[in-house]
Amino acid sequence: MISSEPSHGWIRLIEPACTSCMICARECPTWCISIDSHTEPVEGLPSGARDRTQNVLDRFAIDWSLCMYCGICIEECPFDALEWVSEPTQPASTSHALVEEMVTRSS
Amino acid sequence: MIEIAPQEWLTAVEALKADGFEYFDWLGCVDEIGRRDCLRVVLVVRNLSERAEPRMLSCSLSRTDARIDSVSGVFAGAAWHEREVAELFGVEFIGGERRRLLLSPEFEGTPLRKDEVLAARTGMNWPGAKEPGESDFSPGRRRLAPPGVPDPSLWGDRDASQTAPDPADVAESAVGGRVRRRRP
Repeated sequence: MISSEPSHGWIRLIEPACTSCMICARECPTWCISIDSHTEPVEGLPSGARDRTQNVLDRFAIDWSLCMYCGICIEECPFDALEWVSEPTQPASTSHALVEEMVTRSS
Repeated sequence: MIEIAPQEWLTAVEALKADGFEYFDWLGCVDEIGRRDCLRVVLVVRNLSERAEPRMLSCSLSRTDARIDSVSGVFAGAAWHEREVAELFGVEFIGGERRRLLLSPEFEGTPLRKDEVLAARTGMNWPGAKEPGESDFSPGRRRLAPPGVPDPSLWGDRDASQTAPDPADVAESAVGGRVRRRRP
């Protein structure tokens, strides 16, 4: 079958689109997505506006030893922050090394 | 859907086949726990020569003693479906093939019954338990529960001397979500 769609080799996080809403981690049937986030006040609001906070992503990791490449996270993400990539995931010699840290930031 | 009593299951299927519904489509099962305390076996046959609607037969069985006659003598192809239902729901098909189809011989349990819990997960931290903006699991909050994992007080940490939990309560507490819906 010839298709322009990427094959299901790897799942990529489009970090600017992610709002740390946790929906992918909750929908994942294999519990392979780990997310840490914190809230920060929104800067640059007009004077007099009520204080607002936004979520900031600190850590986004997929454990490829658990992932079954079902794509439910991609389907469920309301912000299209996950997408298929054709290249396969990198092999590793230990199951721990299959945990791919896509975002690591100390808060 | 035509409701059939368990003792009339085989004769009802034979009668439909004699009536021209000679094409076996599928046989499946539904665990109706929470609505009714039964397992429902469903069978669909079609009449390919006429423009007739497919016929769907259903039969409700006791969850504790789920036994029904095998129809593999009428439709040989039903044997696979019956073997699948037998091992996934724990239904015994009298006179049917008893070999396993999908699960390994040493596997114990009936994976598609709704009171079947994912036991290995009861001791794990669910990644989805965190709220947006959180980095730590905060046990004090009203917890969000993952599907398949029952309430620990009901299934996991309970006193072994107490009676076994009601399957309906286990199934109900393992649906997941924001609120533990417990009956009073």
